[in-house]
Amino acid sequence: MVERQSPLEPEYHVGSHGNFEHGVEILLTETRPGSIVQLAAWPGEEKKLIAAIRAVAGLALPDGAGGGLSDGAKSAFGFAPGKFTVADEAEGLAAAFARVVTPAIGTVTDLSHGRTAIRIAGPKAEWVLAKFFAIDFALPAFPVGAGRSTTHHDVFAQIQRTGTDQFDIYVFRSFARSFWKALCHASEEVGYEVQ
Amino acid sequence: MSPRRADTGGRIDRLKTIRFTFDGIAYTGHGGDTLASALLANGVTLLGRSFKYHRPRGLLSAGVEEPNALVTVLKGEVREPNIPATMVEIHDGLLAVSQNRFPSLAWDIHAVNQLGGKLLSAGFYYKTFMGPVVGPLKGTRFWMFCEHFIRRAAGLGSAGSAKDPARYERMNAFCDVLVVGSGPAGLMAAKAAADQGARVILADLEPHFGGSANWSGETIDGAWATDWVRRTVAQLAARDNVRLLPRTTVWGYYDNNTLAALERVSDHKEQPAKGEPRHRYWAIRAGSVVLATGAFERPLVFPGNDRPGVMLAHAAERYANEFGVLPGQRVVLFTNNDSAYRSALALKQAGAAIVAIVDVRPQPSAEMSALAGETEAELLSGHAVVATEGGKALSGLKVQRFDMVAGVLSGDARSVHADCLLMSGGWSPTIHLASQAGAKAEWSAARQAFLPPKPTQKWIGAGAFTGSFSTVEAIAEGRAAGLAAAGGTAAPAALPSVEAIPGDPDPAPVFEIRASGKSFVDFQHDVTAEDVRLAHREGFVSVEHLKRYTTLGMATDQGKSSNVPGLAIMAEALGKPIPDVGTTRFRPPFAPVSIGSLAAERFGDLKPERLTPMHDWHLANGATMYSAGLWYRPMIYGLSGETVEQAYVREAKATRESAGIVDVSTLGKIAVQGPDAATFLDRVYTNMFSTLAVGKARYGLMLREDGFAFDDGTTWRLGEQDFLMTTTTANAGRVMQHLEYFLDVVWPELKVHVTSVTDEWAGAAIGGPKARQILAACVTGTAVDNATLPFMGIVHGEIAGVPVMVCRLSFSGEMAFEVYSGAGHGTHVWEALIEAGKPFGLVTYGLEALGTMRIEKGHVTGAEIDGRTTARDLHLDWMLSKKKPFIGSAMMDREGLVASDRLDLVGLIALDNRPLNGGAHIVEEIDEANPRGSIGHITACCYSPALGKHIALALVKGGKARHGTRAHVSDPLRNRFGPVEIVSNHFYDPEGTRMHG
Repeated sequence: MVERQSPLEPEYHVGSHGNFEHGVEILLTETRPGSIVQLAAWPGEEKKLIAAIRAVAGLALPDGAGGGLSDGAKSAFGFAPGKFTVADEAEGLAAAFARVVTPAIGTVTDLSHGRTAIRIAGPKAEWVLAKFFAIDFALPAFPVGAGRSTTHHDVFAQIQRTGTDQFDIYVFRSFARSFWKALCHASEEVGYEVQ
Repeated sequence: MSPRRADTGGRIDRLKTIRFTFDGIAYTGHGGDTLASALLANGVTLLGRSFKYHRPRGLLSAGVEEPNALVTVLKGEVREPNIPATMVEIHDGLLAVSQNRFPSLAWDIHAVNQLGGKLLSAGFYYKTFMGPVVGPLKGTRFWMFCEHFIRRAAGLGSAGSAKDPARYERMNAFCDVLVVGSGPAGLMAAKAAADQGARVILADLEPHFGGSANWSGETIDGAWATDWVRRTVAQLAARDNVRLLPRTTVWGYYDNNTLAALERVSDHKEQPAKGEPRHRYWAIRAGSVVLATGAFERPLVFPGNDRPGVMLAHAAERYANEFGVLPGQRVVLFTNNDSAYRSALALKQAGAAIVAIVDVRPQPSAEMSALAGETEAELLSGHAVVATEGGKALSGLKVQRFDMVAGVLSGDARSVHADCLLMSGGWSPTIHLASQAGAKAEWSAARQAFLPPKPTQKWIGAGAFTGSFSTVEAIAEGRAAGLAAAGGTAAPAALPSVEAIPGDPDPAPVFEIRASGKSFVDFQHDVTAEDVRLAHREGFVSVEHLKRYTTLGMATDQGKSSNVPGLAIMAEALGKPIPDVGTTRFRPPFAPVSIGSLAAERFGDLKPERLTPMHDWHLANGATMYSAGLWYRPMIYGLSGETVEQAYVREAKATRESAGIVDVSTLGKIAVQGPDAATFLDRVYTNMFSTLAVGKARYGLMLREDGFAFDDGTTWRLGEQDFLMTTTTANAGRVMQHLEYFLDVVWPELKVHVTSVTDEWAGAAIGGPKARQILAACVTGTAVDNATLPFMGIVHGEIAGVPVMVCRLSFSGEMAFEVYSGAGHGTHVWEALIEAGKPFGLVTYGLEALGTMRIEKGHVTGAEIDGRTTARDLHLDWMLSKKKPFIGSAMMDREGLVASDRLDLVGLIALDNRPLNGGAHIVEEIDEANPRGSIGHITACCYSPALGKHIALALVKGGKARHGTRAHVSDPLRNRFGPVEIVSNHFYDPEGTRMHG
């Protein structure tokens, strides 16, 4: 299998950077999931789609806008009414969903190459993300597992909280390097490590 | 130790000496000093020159409202003008200079303007720039010449042109309660709200929280108010649900309780820490807001009230109590209210001699008389200051008996020797944010001030902001506001006890002492009381007109100290009460905001840009990149010594002779999926897509609803309910919006989903006579012969172990194929194609060659689909289906859209064998001296290697009928005139034999 090329490569500098006055307060990684799939249900078919996500990914999503779950290997979250992003460390998720999500339920769109997944973690994750997005990142407002759709400048982004101080951000591949550079720049103030 | 600096007192750190420079002279100050307090401590009282008259000016205030002492701060090559010295925290190495003076602050030649008082009165610009109506200087040209000199003589500081290397950031914040202002009211509000569990942000524009408690000299709960502040702030800082933002000016109040604030993060440091911004722009979305922004003391308007040494009373109190600096040794106070007596006592305790207290009121209260006695000052009640004396510093003043009811002076003027005159004209609550939030201020006759309006958004006021000027009231109101803002109930609680000097908060209604001499209302814009009256005499009635005509309340301080006195004088002139005259609505920003903070980081290296999967390959292989919207695309792959034209001619020629490959990943790609996808596309495109077979592609044209051409591209049917639409690079976003609009709003019943998959696919277009052979050499899993892959056919296979989708379609006019692979495999596939093409002479080509070949073929792009052309104009009427309606079909046959004199697409050949220019006009008869008679314009041009000529596409009136005729290009801007032949837009292989093979 031919390895996928990361769009971040020339700007992906493993190691610690920035201001270490308080140590390293941000960890940045490209998670490189094997599959990123967008699922969309027709109106009234949302629960069947949620059931399909449970059947294929083993994630029982809560009902309601923006709800999501992550088990470390697989993640799923709603990002718009009836629309979900599902990611998996393994490849082949789109084909698996295509077998379950019938045309009567909705559509499956493979975005495994088209989106880049970046993880930001650490005690200052909320602080750094607040520089980018007009989103309330406080835990009560944005619980673990939940997802949000938003933009930074012209960069559309989907964000899932995968830990108390950990977020996975999905951005368009073509914008990913630009976004990554901005993320590193914004993290300098608090010290960051690229893993 | 400076003679003006007390040995004790204040919150400055006397153990820390800071060295800074003002106007090239080195000074020292202490930790905690502002530039104003440090200069004052060094005996510097002349800090600026006034706007028009260049009068010497000193400090009026100690805070953000300072109108006089504006300085320019220099950092490296960067100069930031118009910063109040009162807001500059000194640090080692600080460089500041005065402004609006030449050659120096002490000796300013423009001070001659003071002799032209009448000439420079209200409405100067309106009157002056009208220009003479007769004579040799008629018109405005002469005055435009004079403007340069006038502007040099009048103004504020000048901005620099050096690039600002500082870092600026934008932050987004959410909270339940935002408390603006951290005096006793704000601190109590923040504490009460935090105790309720609310998420609280406390913002104050000063570096230290506490507001008036830092200088009032009062005690709270038996300790100095400053200790109470320290304790309370420490409690707040220890809480997880409180964010403290010192040095943060909340400057805008917008809809839905969104507020804008500027945090000065590192201005007070010699160097910012690594990664630390200079300023942060905070966009704060608050559930509720507590406005505890305090009040501004007002000056009194009397002749000579702007002389250095004349200062607001509370400002002097601040300098004494907060910074340990005395503004003078022999002090006189001039007041219409009780608060100045407290200031007198504070200065007395700090070591100054209080010479006199001049009170316009005939009989101050017994308590005030007693206070005056404590200060050992002579109490001159029923008196007013009518003049000040001295040059660049106050040496004395004149007082006269004054009847405040009649406004009449009487008796002889008496001279008083003093080096400092402190004035207090009452207090104006700082209602700017409430005013911005949308309601009209309400006049209080008792307070002689505009009080905040009733809230139109979710805010609650507390303390001096509401007109409650005592600390006891501030604490009570602050707690109640904090509780209410957090949704708590006001349970009885023991409030901190306050020991303060009593005083009546209501001033006497006296704003001006009318006597001979210039009496300034607006210090920053040099507007006098006489200017206000002149505006009235010249017919200005509305307060809005008054403001604009006199410029009262404009400039960087936005009239913080001048608005109410100005209105009062206008009201008197009009013979109306102040509330009938009204006040102007405050607008953002409350205080100046750095442009850098608004721009934040959307520039330079951090500007968002889009890169194709093969971007790095292009750079490594000699591509010159070209910015196409946010995308970067190869323009040419130039060889050493080649010009752009030589490179694209070589690339296009090689493609037509053998094969060429171009990165087309930027084309917009939209997945159109669902049971109704085909129906939807039939409505979106002018031609039919429901008849398209799976595994085939079709060229499609979209119109806007108004019938004009919108976008074009091919759409591929990958499955019965699964289409891949391609759009032009530039229009991808607009087409997506267009589709989503129709699905969401017009046809919600259609089961169709559209998803941007532009970034999912890397695209390489390979064309030329040998393109098929190259593909055959590297594609596995499928044949690519004509039977398997006919024109507009699609096959799936692999290249170098990677799945690919190949569609045979052509933009270049050659036998061509588009090879799509997953974006992460884009470079891998691209390199495999390059390798496979080596034996066949495959070249890489960029946008220039791409454009050249499309011009030769007469294909249209955004240059021709420019929002003004129809399908017929572009000879695409063959695509307008008559079997079905589609978006735009109802409007495309309107009279104006089918008129015979519309601009049609044509080809042009330069008959003088010289390059043509995009945008050049086409004319029937050339007239270089008087260009006219345009019949159209060039949309795209190139040198055609296939034809060996300079050619162009153009939109020309009645274009098709002109084929074979001659016309001329007329391009006076670039001085290019010459003959052209009008021909068909299909220059090259019009039958398409090369493409179909």
